[in-house]
Formats: sequence, structure tokens, C-alpha cells
Amino acid sequence: MHSKQDKRPTLLWIQGVTCNGNTHSFLNLPNIDQLLVKFRLLHHPSLAGEYSFEDMAACRFKCDILIFEGAYDPLMKRGGVLLSKIVEHYAQTAGHIIGVGSCASFGGMFKASAPERNSGLIFNEEIEYGPLLKYKSKVINIAGCPAHPEWISYTLSMIAAGKKVQVDELHRPIELFSNLAHHGCIRNEYFEWKVDAVAFGKKEGCLFYEYGCRAPMTHASCNKILWNEVSSKTRVGTPCFGCTEPDFPRQNLFSTKKNMSIPVDVPIGVPKRSYLTLTGIAKAFHIQRLEGKLIDYKKTD
Amino acid sequence: MTTKKLIEQIEGEANIYFDMKDGVVDFATVAFPHFRGLESILKGKNIMDALVITPRVCGICGHAHLMATVRAIEDAYKNAGETVVLNEKIEKIREFTLVMEIIQNHFKWIYLTIIPSLAKLSKSEDIQTPLKGAFGASLATKALAIFAGQWPHSSYMIPGGVTTDPTNIEILKAQSYVEELISFYEKEALGLSLEKFLNLESCTEFNTLEGDIRDLEKALVKEEMNKKGFSHDRFLVLGKHNYTVPSKLKQTRVFSVDAKYVEDVTTYSPKEKSYAKNAQYKNEYYETGPLSRMMAIGFPIVKNMHRRFKDSAYSRVMARVFELAYLLKHSKSLLQSISIDQPSYLKTADINKLTASGRGVVEAPRGPLIHEIDIKDGLIQKYKIITPTQFNIGSSQKPSLTPAQKAMTGLTQEEALFVFRTFDVCSVCTTH
Repeated sequence: MHSKQDKRPTLLWIQGVTCNGNTHSFLNLPNIDQLLVKFRLLHHPSLAGEYSFEDMAACRFKCDILIFEGAYDPLMKRGGVLLSKIVEHYAQTAGHIIGVGSCASFGGMFKASAPERNSGLIFNEEIEYGPLLKYKSKVINIAGCPAHPEWISYTLSMIAAGKKVQVDELHRPIELFSNLAHHGCIRNEYFEWKVDAVAFGKKEGCLFYEYGCRAPMTHASCNKILWNEVSSKTRVGTPCFGCTEPDFPRQNLFSTKKNMSIPVDVPIGVPKRSYLTLTGIAKAFHIQRLEGKLIDYKKTD
Repeated sequence: MTTKKLIEQIEGEANIYFDMKDGVVDFATVAFPHFRGLESILKGKNIMDALVITPRVCGICGHAHLMATVRAIEDAYKNAGETVVLNEKIEKIREFTLVMEIIQNHFKWIYLTIIPSLAKLSKSEDIQTPLKGAFGASLATKALAIFAGQWPHSSYMIPGGVTTDPTNIEILKAQSYVEELISFYEKEALGLSLEKFLNLESCTEFNTLEGDIRDLEKALVKEEMNKKGFSHDRFLVLGKHNYTVPSKLKQTRVFSVDAKYVEDVTTYSPKEKSYAKNAQYKNEYYETGPLSRMMAIGFPIVKNMHRRFKDSAYSRVMARVFELAYLLKHSKSLLQSISIDQPSYLKTADINKLTASGRGVVEAPRGPLIHEIDIKDGLIQKYKIITPTQFNIGSSQKPSLTPAQKAMTGLTQEEALFVFRTFDVCSVCTTH
């Protein structure tokens, strides 16, 4: 238990409609102890806090920082109490509110559980809507399915240090969400020269043209701040599914939507005509190095 | 009189209703209050999208869901006459990442769930170290992410293979994380080398241990958990992997199994609406998970434990401690034998023309996870999921009790709440 002199900000983590993915993503954080020591943990779904789940549901205390995981369902009850009441109680006096994950940010995967009523805290996809609109200046969205542990840590550390976290129009921290998932992808050269992957399970080729990769259209720093400190989807040949954007989950995630064999979506901010011109030119070249195997073990025998 | 107990710090939320008689539990029912409707979310979508959606059933065992989906699709190919033959490399990489997820789960369960719950039961004031569990788990997920890109919520397994094509660099890196994890487990938890620990033959040798597991074992005995928490003494393993054998056991008698005999039945939850269904094998309830898997392979120390203490809470907890060690060793041998020169992916017939049904069965951390699909022209007509917690923690009427109901009967409420957690409850999976 804390002493009266304990001036550390208080932290509460509560859940709506969720898979617990953000909770578990957070537990991957390297040096999690160094982060947690900056706060008084009042309640958390899997780490012991000062208050029980029942105390939390009964709204028996207040917090400085409210973390919310999962989609918001106004009819959901936690511990027998309406989530709407719980969220309002803690949000009212919290100095900062953090939506962790794309469900809390935009509705995400579990908006589909009850599409007519579920949403994020202040957005329903990209439309402003949700239970905490009146507190929107306090809300930071750490989008992602799940949210990256180091993104959560960054946001909490900034708050603990009394620094302002600047956000974009979707309330995502700009230091985390100004990059595209494409930045730092180890297949970038294949994208530049328009050499498409011919199949999954290969080191070579870009997944954008055929296999649904959303990295050039997705704000995220997955290839800058690696997952689990070691990798990312595109680094293991899995397309980016755009999980940090308000339209996640889209449909037909493993194939690129095309119109007359031209991708419907092109990299953010690039005029389609420019993209097509460049593609035409790039495809006119045949670059043997990029068309062959990246590593040919047999040749090195 | 019925008392309601809200269970926190499990995956999600559950309520237990106890009917007490003479100070002990006469009958208990369990309700899972939340519903997310993933099966209906999947309906109508391209079957490939299930590889992205089903891992989101569960934040702690989503990788098992990914594998169940990929196996269900490959089974559908087989049923359509287009059998997908996987090579050793694909099988080994998939199994390695699945095993890493189980290890991650067990680390968290030991340090974030079982040790603190037992301390609460015995009113111990020992300092808790939950972050040891998070640290062990994070090493396992690093090794996993080398192949899968990330954890949680990877989608790197696809019908016909995996998306990753690792070099020796990745394999070496994974090996180094596994070695670090083994050292950590030896130093903090066992106080003994992994090899020596796995070669223990009798529970009487546990006094040679020195770490957290020694304290855990002592506390289990002190609370007489070797004499409490008995279930039906029936065990079920359904997923095919190299670390266990699909089988059912009645006491120690072993029988063959087929996942087609699994059915889910309506839950008995008179006090509150529950969104869970109970899973049965040929109309009977079986315990699933680490104790069942270790019994199925006849692991010596677990058999010894079972001979002495049957399927008590003690055996259930300690089997998991041993499974963690056993899987660490297994994961090392998997990495040593991956041939990087085999293809990572073998092209399958056009999935958009696939019309068939399939079943994918996987041993998830808590036991058999079953995905059943009907596909028409590549689109999902029906998606059905049965999860391990549905086997262990259903809620049924007397006399046919589920494993958890049976195990809680005759105990004080505090003991029953601890025993409930020995099954490792996953509410989010159960109410998919």
C-alpha cells in the first residue's frame, strides 16, 4: 500500500469488449519494472493493484491516468455495473485518458460484436463519436491490434515526466504514428523497383501489389520500433493489415484490391497518376539482382 | 444459501455461485457473463481473413487459434481432394512458435496467478514477484516473434506453410533466447538444471529444489492440495504434435481418440446468463491441459505424482511446472533440426474455388482447441470454435459435473477458489 507522501500519478487499467491482447502485449515490455515504478497501480487486469476488481467496478476511488482497453459497449456490465457508469466515473477526474489498442481507439475488431452500438472512446472508425467526446482533449489513442508495448510505455513515460504528448487528428501520438509501417521494411527496394512477391514464404518481393500489404497506407512505427524487440509482420513476409487505422479490420486481407489491375489504394499522399507513371517506368526495367534469389545457398557451396 | 464470487485476474471475467452445506461447497455453478460473437463476425468473410480474425479471440493463446484455423483450412483442402502436404521445416517452425506461446502462458500462470493465489489462501506475507512471469513470458515471445513477426496477434501461418523464410541468423537468435529462458527458469524457479529436474523420478526428491518452485510445492502440501481438488481422473488430449499423444485416459488406462466425438452442450447456470457452452467427449467430461498431456506421454515424474496424489490440485499445478521444463527442452531440439533449405510455403489450389468442410485441432496451453469450418467458394459459411476451458470449466447439473465443478466440491470457498484457478481459466476464449 502507498504512503501519504506517495506523489506518483495513479494508474487504472480497465477493459471493455476485448481479447486481453493489449494487456498481454504490455506485459512484453522490456524493463516493465522501470516503467511501473513511476506510478501507483490502482487496478490492472492481470497485475496486482491497490484495489480489487469489485472496488473498481463499484467506483470507489479516482485515478490520474485512465487506461481503457477494448471496444466500448454501452450495455456491457463489469462486475454487475454498467460500463458507461464506470467509464464516466473515472474519466471525469482523470488528467489523462489512454485508449490502448484499435478497439478502444476506433471500435476495431470488437465493434463488429454489436456494430450498432459499439465504438471506441471518442471515435467510431474515423467519425467522432463515443462516450468520452466531452473529455476528448484528455484522450490519447494508442491504436494497433494490439498496441505495441513500447508505444504504451512511451506515452505513460511522457505523462509521468509532465511532458505533452502531441497527437494527430485521430488522437494518436505523432511521434509514434507519423511514420508509415512501410518505413524500415526490409523489402523496400522491391517496392521501389516494383518487383512483386511471387508467393508467400520467400525472402524476395514486395507484398503491396498482390498480397494486400497496407504498410504504405498505414500510420505506425512497426518497422522502426520492432515487435518484441526483434521483428515485424513484413519482416517475416506477412502483409501489413493496417491494424492501426480506423478501418481495421478490412476485408480480403491477404489480397490487394484492384481496379483494371491497378491497386485501388496507393501510398498515402502520392497522386495516383504519379504512382502509375513511376510504376510503369520501374516495371520497364529488368533488374536481375532483384529478380533472382536474395541468398542462393547452393551457389555458395 | 448461494454465495456469489466474482473471479478477477483471469483472462476476462467469471462468476462462481456456491451452494454451501456444513461449511463446504456442496455444488458450484460457473457463469461467463460476456459475449463477443466471433463466430458470427467470421461468417461470410473470405476464409483467409480468419487467419487475422481468430488470433483475436484471445490475447494469451491467439497463436493456438491461428494454428487451429490453418489446420482447419488444410483439412478442408484434404476433404476436397487437394491434400496439402507440409514439409518438416514448416511443421517444425509452426510447432516451435506454438510451444513458445504455451511456455509464455505457463510462466504467467505460475507467477501472476498460482503463486499469488496460493499465498492469499495460506495468508502468506511473502513478497510477490509477478514480473518474473512477465519476463520469462517476454523471452518466449521474442523467440516466437523471430518467426511469427510479433506476438500477440501474428498471422504468419497460412495454408501450405508459413510466410517467414528464416536464415541461420534467425535460428541462432531464437536459440539464444531459448537458452536465456532455460537459465532463467533454472536459476529463479528450479534451483536445479533443467536436465536434472526432468529426470526426477519421485515427488520425494522435490526437497532438492531451491527456487520458487520449491516454495510453491511446499505451500501446496501445506494447504493439503495433494489431498484436494480431485476431478474425474479422466484426461483428454486431441491435438497432434510432437510433444504429446492424442488420447483419452481413464485413470491410467489409455484409449484412442478422434476429435469428431467432441460436442458442446448447454450450460447449467440458473443464477445468471452464461455465454459459455460445456464441451464433452462422447457425453463425458474430461480434464484437459498440461496434466492430461503429461499423463498421455507417461512422463515418469507426473505418473509418480498421479500414483500418489491422483488428479489433485497438486498434480495439476506441478504437471504444468514440468510441462514448461519439458517444452523448453523440446523447443531446443526443434530449433536444432530445422532445415532452412526446404521451402517455407507450398502452393495450394486456388482458395477462392475451395468448397469443403474442415476441422483443425490444436493443443493450446489449456488443452484441445477445435475450429470447425464450412467453406463455399472460399467464403466462410459456418465457423465453430470449441476451446479448452469449455472442457475444464463448464457448468453442469448434478450428477454429471464438469471437471472444475467436481474439483471444487467438498472444499471451503477459499480452497475452491484456488482450485478453480489451477485449471487456468480463460474466459475470453470460452465466450468467443
